[in-house]
Amino acid sequence: MSTRSGRVPRGRARRRVGTVVRLIAALILAGGLYAAFAPGVYAEEDPQLSQAAKDGKAIFDNTCVSCHGRNAQGVTDRGPSLIGVGSASVEFQVTSGRMPLARQEAQAERKPPYWSDPEELDQNARLLGQYIQELGGGPQVPDGNLRAEGGNTLARGGELFRVNCSSCHAFSAGGGALSSGKFAPSMAAATDRQIYAAMLSGPQNMPVFGDNQLTPDEKREIITYIQNLKEDKDPGGWGLGRIGPVTEGLAIFVVGVVAVVFAALWIAGKS
Amino acid sequence: MSTIGSERSHTAGAGDTAHHSGGQPDIDVHDPSLSRFELVREGARRDGVEIVHYAPRFPIPGTKAERRIERTIALLFLLTGVAGLAFVVIFVAMRFAYTPGTNSAKLFTPLLGVTFGVALLTLGAGIIMWAKKLLPEEVAVEKRHLGGSPPDDKKIMGAQLGHIAEETAISRRPLLKGALLLGLAPVGVAAVVLPIAPLIKDPHGRGDPLLHTGFDPEYNNGNPVRLVREDGTGIRPDDVSAGGQMTVYPGIPHGATNFWADSPTLLIHLREADAAVARSNLARIPLNAPTPDNPDGGMWQNFIAYSKICTHLGCPASLYEQQTNRLLCPCHQSQFLITDNAKPIFGPATRRLPMLPITVDDDGFFVARSDYQVPIGPAFWERS
Repeated sequence: MSTRSGRVPRGRARRRVGTVVRLIAALILAGGLYAAFAPGVYAEEDPQLSQAAKDGKAIFDNTCVSCHGRNAQGVTDRGPSLIGVGSASVEFQVTSGRMPLARQEAQAERKPPYWSDPEELDQNARLLGQYIQELGGGPQVPDGNLRAEGGNTLARGGELFRVNCSSCHAFSAGGGALSSGKFAPSMAAATDRQIYAAMLSGPQNMPVFGDNQLTPDEKREIITYIQNLKEDKDPGGWGLGRIGPVTEGLAIFVVGVVAVVFAALWIAGKS
Repeated sequence: MSTIGSERSHTAGAGDTAHHSGGQPDIDVHDPSLSRFELVREGARRDGVEIVHYAPRFPIPGTKAERRIERTIALLFLLTGVAGLAFVVIFVAMRFAYTPGTNSAKLFTPLLGVTFGVALLTLGAGIIMWAKKLLPEEVAVEKRHLGGSPPDDKKIMGAQLGHIAEETAISRRPLLKGALLLGLAPVGVAAVVLPIAPLIKDPHGRGDPLLHTGFDPEYNNGNPVRLVREDGTGIRPDDVSAGGQMTVYPGIPHGATNFWADSPTLLIHLREADAAVARSNLARIPLNAPTPDNPDGGMWQNFIAYSKICTHLGCPASLYEQQTNRLLCPCHQSQFLITDNAKPIFGPATRRLPMLPITVDDDGFFVARSDYQVPIGPAFWERS
């Protein structure tokens, strides 16, 4: 210090004040820069989510997160990403009880849903769907009546069903086998919304039937036809699973012919 | 006469079946002392049937037991009448019209079946009961010879046949013989042609019809044929979502009818990753492979189209699994891997599904680049 010649030595007090001022200035600058470039650190979490989606996220973080991962981005070998699947897919999987999955197998099967109360189930499925919808978009099931009206609805719905659905789900919506343990399920328990959601989202191995392929009106006609098919009474009183003529033929062969044979034996024995 | 009479009484008394009418003089059926039953028994005997036991069920007529059975049978016949009447009333009065849902119209057919069934059942039960419980007991014995016919019968039969041939005198009437042959020959050919001709499809058509489907431009004035829905409307790429599929038909008149039953095709929109796999596999099959002037090969972007006619026995293979990209045939469980040129990977099919090369025309609709390049359908003897 003493070697700095030609200068008036500053006072000790002034030097100390100057150090403090520089330090404060540096701190303010650093803090300001940090605040400028990282504004969200202390901001409200997920500001883009609606209230319904936040409620859905709460449910998701309780029940779905272990397989589908944080923010529904999926967990390798456990559950796929749900970004872009849309609320239709969520509603179908949750309300039909397929999700939460019981175990990894050929395909998820319908079972009693997570929430046993139907209203609670419907509400929570919609909240979850809203959350997934706001995360990545995707197909949505419209609200309101999903049945079609009009004189030729059933005929048109039946035609569309036979062209598009019956190859896998069979002519009476009883379902059928696919490869390696997979199968097209029976539609016996499917609701309007579930059928609509399935067509839109193509769950598991079902092909997707987008609105350009089957218009919303055509989807409604198909639903009306399916539900009418299910309400229809089986003329014999017992539909045998409605799998078709093979079952019925086998039943009448095994039961009916055996009965006739025993009746013939009985008559002959009485002679 | 007396000997015959004694023989008759001997038969009736002992139940002996040793007597047979063959060769013996028969009793005189005009004998006024014969009873009706004796005539019946004689008739049976002349036919080779001996009635050896004949006795009424109820030796004393009008007993309580007999009347009870009579009443039961009468009840059965009355039930027949009631059920038959019910059948007619239901058939006439009940207006049957199909109505959706659960309703009484669904009972129409079952009710008809039940009433008619009850009528037939009670009628049959009544008749059987009458025969078993009221008609006299009877044991009859019929004699049969063993082995072939006696030599005498064979000799007579041969003489009869020879006699017929001689009567026609065909050997000395060559005109009639020739005319008969000429007349019958076309009938014989007709008998052969009739069952074989239906096996030949479109015999007056152009070339071999098995090699062409409705997607051949020839049926569209030489222009590429559009892929259309069952109602004839064209298909834009937007119409099929990724992971979706659509059954398409040739866009020619009556293209979606049974007349073009060999043409239905499955148009599939693969997901991006699956489409990349499918594209990389195209080169393995020269017909599907990309060429310099056609870098997409048989595909168009992520779209791919295969014949729906299974190469095993021609069922519609249309069970598409969009995650595994397998196409299943429901008849015999053949499976085709869509991402590898529809290679059969399971089941009895041995041949790939033919690919329909597709592109999009200037108006934005799918068209077939050409017809199928291999014959569609079950195993084929000239396939390449």
